[in-house]
Amino acid sequence: MSDSARASIFARIRYSGSGASAAEIAAAREALGRAPAANLPGSDLCSSFLANVLLNRGTVDVVGNRSEAVTAVGKYIYQHYRTHRLVAGNDPRLAAMPWRDAGVLPRFGELEAGEPVALSYARLGVAETGAVVTFTGKANPAANNLLPENHIVVIDVADLVPDMEMAWSRIAHAMTTEQRPRGINFIAGPSSTGDIEGKLVYGAHGPRHWHVILLGEVPQAALGEAQAIAAPAATTGELD
Amino acid sequence: MESEALHTTAPGGGPAVYLFVTCLADLLRPSVAFNSIKLLEDAGCRVTVPLQQTCCGQPAYNTGDYKSIIPLARQVVAMLEPADYVVLPSGSCAGMICHHYPALLKDEWHERALQVAAKTFEITTFLSDIVKAKRPERPPIPLPPITYHDSCAGLRELGIKEQPRQLLQEFCDTQVSELQQSEVCCGFGGTFCAKMPEISGKMVQDKLHNAAATGAGILAGGDLGCLLNIAGRARREGVAIEVRHITELLCGDLDGPAIGEGE
Amino acid sequence: MQQYSDTFLDNASAALADKDKAEVRDAMALFTPLVRNAAMDQFQHFEELRQHVKQVRQHSLDNLGHYLESYEQQAVRNGNQVHFATTGDELNSIVLDICQQHSARRIAKGKSMITEETGLNAFLERANLDVMETDLGEYIIQEAGETPSHIVGPALHKSAAEIRQLFLDRHDLGERELETTEDLVSEARQVLREHFLNAQVGIIGANALIAENGYSMLVTNEGNGDLCANLPPVLIICTSVDRILPRAEDATAMLRLLVRSATGQAQTCYTSFYSGPRREQDIDGPMETHIVLLDNRRSDILASDYREMLQCIRCGACLNHCPIFASVGGHAYGWVYPGPMGSVLTPLLTSLEQSQALPNACTSCGRCAEVCPADIPLPDLLRDLRHAEVEEKIAAPRWRQGLKIHAWLARQPRLYQLLTGMGIALLYLLGRKRGSFSKLPLASGWTSQRDFPSPQGRTFMQQYKAEHKHRE
Repeated sequence: MSDSARASIFARIRYSGSGASAAEIAAAREALGRAPAANLPGSDLCSSFLANVLLNRGTVDVVGNRSEAVTAVGKYIYQHYRTHRLVAGNDPRLAAMPWRDAGVLPRFGELEAGEPVALSYARLGVAETGAVVTFTGKANPAANNLLPENHIVVIDVADLVPDMEMAWSRIAHAMTTEQRPRGINFIAGPSSTGDIEGKLVYGAHGPRHWHVILLGEVPQAALGEAQAIAAPAATTGELD
Repeated sequence: MESEALHTTAPGGGPAVYLFVTCLADLLRPSVAFNSIKLLEDAGCRVTVPLQQTCCGQPAYNTGDYKSIIPLARQVVAMLEPADYVVLPSGSCAGMICHHYPALLKDEWHERALQVAAKTFEITTFLSDIVKAKRPERPPIPLPPITYHDSCAGLRELGIKEQPRQLLQEFCDTQVSELQQSEVCCGFGGTFCAKMPEISGKMVQDKLHNAAATGAGILAGGDLGCLLNIAGRARREGVAIEVRHITELLCGDLDGPAIGEGE
Repeated sequence: MQQYSDTFLDNASAALADKDKAEVRDAMALFTPLVRNAAMDQFQHFEELRQHVKQVRQHSLDNLGHYLESYEQQAVRNGNQVHFATTGDELNSIVLDICQQHSARRIAKGKSMITEETGLNAFLERANLDVMETDLGEYIIQEAGETPSHIVGPALHKSAAEIRQLFLDRHDLGERELETTEDLVSEARQVLREHFLNAQVGIIGANALIAENGYSMLVTNEGNGDLCANLPPVLIICTSVDRILPRAEDATAMLRLLVRSATGQAQTCYTSFYSGPRREQDIDGPMETHIVLLDNRRSDILASDYREMLQCIRCGACLNHCPIFASVGGHAYGWVYPGPMGSVLTPLLTSLEQSQALPNACTSCGRCAEVCPADIPLPDLLRDLRHAEVEEKIAAPRWRQGLKIHAWLARQPRLYQLLTGMGIALLYLLGRKRGSFSKLPLASGWTSQRDFPSPQGRTFMQQYKAEHKHRE
């Protein structure tokens, strides 16, 4: 059934097609150029990314090095869950973190039922949208993004890109040395729904909270600038 | 025959403006046409009224009867070709000539329709943007608080929004109290209002209530279709708001009954 | 899905009579354009981006054969099994076969308008499969035994109070309050989580298919589609052949408009790209993935004058801005796709006879075309469908004949002016005192809802000609 369906669909589609060659089609697409991106809200990549994370109803921390990152994670999970435990994927970058310094006890693997917090190390962060990008795989099983109550994501300043076009260019580059990932996830906020009377509620299926830790040389004013950009929206931007 | 076909009101200089009266003004509200002539003449135009005009053909066109409209569209194009400008006191009829005739007509007629379209204007656009009309030497016309209905075709096909407001400011020294949801359709839609009366009724009810909520004594607009719809609903519900075409306001022609009101 | 578009006017009448529901719709009609407009104002490049997206969509459709083939090659290379379905029934059978091959009983389903179009749930349920919708809106209407009223917010026609009662009736969870919307969301989360973890097959849709790398794009706020795509051992993606885009960046360019147009957000919470089944070194993901590509007359639309309709990105902005949709709600349209896009698509995907009223449910106000992120001339396409109704003699004879006569008469100025002059003189005589008619022969549609304003006097042409003669 499917073979004849395939043949008849292709025949009908080709009948109303341009009849151009592959090279002509590629040239025609190239000629369309690229799309305009959203303007960055801040004065640099860091402040823009942080502002958009805040606008996406995430919370943020800014840290200079891995030791500070571990401390920030420890403080955050203790404050919220009175725990020192979390689950993280088998990402060598996470494994190399000085967890003991902050008394955090990570378990490396896939999130299991009842575990409230997962930690991911993002591949990229997109300033235009305030999204972090993760690839599925051992380093970050999908369940760790989707099933915890609380999702913490570490992202390196060096992995921030201005817009989604640049993100794809970086992803394409990564694919030259590693296999195509099964899943590429752009995450921009805690799980939410507006399906009941248009009222925005968090924690529809996945995380109720989403915490992003920006690691590296972040300009000193970036966090303050981001908070100032996001502040008016935080008081007036409620979707209901 | 020639004098039967065309009539120019005032000899002398100024651009030759052909007035397309529109069928609704012709049949139901002649004062709109007379006031249009006055406004154009005051602005220094030589106004010509082609006497063989009838209707632009929107009713059949919107119903999807393209075939019946093509010969009518050609006839209207040919009639309007000698004009320097064509002016209509209606956004939807102007939109019909500017956008839909060229889309409907092919080949030589397409080109001719485009040429006519290029010089065709809705009256507030023409007065405000082209001739930049000023108030004649007289004091501003005093008006009760007014609100304005932006008809959809004028608003979206022709970009009419500021022009009537500027003219009301210039001629009547009046600012419009804007009604809520001013860019939402009043439910007229040509034959729509008769084909789907219940839905149309809900839409015009919303429009009327939004208009009444401004506290305005007059609702003005540039398209008689919408105005007849809103006035008819106001009469039905007993809502006391005068509904008038903007040309009546700009000429201070407020003594006669408003649309739908008795003598 | 069962179609009842032929009773559109009755459906609309019933919808208008339900005042509570009308209030919900009025509130949504105020709110949804506000958030969309605010998002676009902030974005600033709406027109430039929509022209770009439109050109990319047109380019993709012009070369659909090429891109579909390259997508298929890439998808197969990524380890997928790709299936083609000419009709909805074929798609349903393909999906059922896959489920049965795996002896699957429990299906977790993400939101997919394509499977609404094919009536997949009912089909699978007849084969005794347990299908659960996991998008909250879809879940609510599935529990209520209803169909989506909106392509983005399928349950927006229901009040929180109704949903509360529905959950109390349907979930065997004992005494509880469910006072707030948050409580309702939490309860659905709890019920659905269990289903996700035990489903043997996940079924989702796709917002785009990317020709250059064989990935499919999935856009959600809840993350439910991602759970369907990642947890069950088998994944089936059901979508249609027109969703193809050349490049990954084309999908995210479209996304900029899609999300802002749909919900007024700058970005959805989860935007995911899936390539296929789990790889050797992976520890998660489905073992087997299938892509089912539906045509269902889309290749006919491609060859027709309605081709631009295939540029649609399913954002729902035309619904949110349509005053007729706001008045009667999505169910009145009687099939899967309501509002302006639905009034074009329904006749094309089903039949013009059955959907005759839909192209007429339009005042040509143009608000839909103004906000359409794919720049589809919806009012023009609807008028063209009315043209087809006239040509195929589907339109009501009294309208066809009446307007044909009017158009003919308009070409005979002397006769037109003579007849209108006589008619208007009579109306004026009868109506001058009261100023309007509450009843008028041949105008019952008009006068059922409003008075008919009386003429002001004789016609302009009569008055003007008389004046002209007098002056001469």
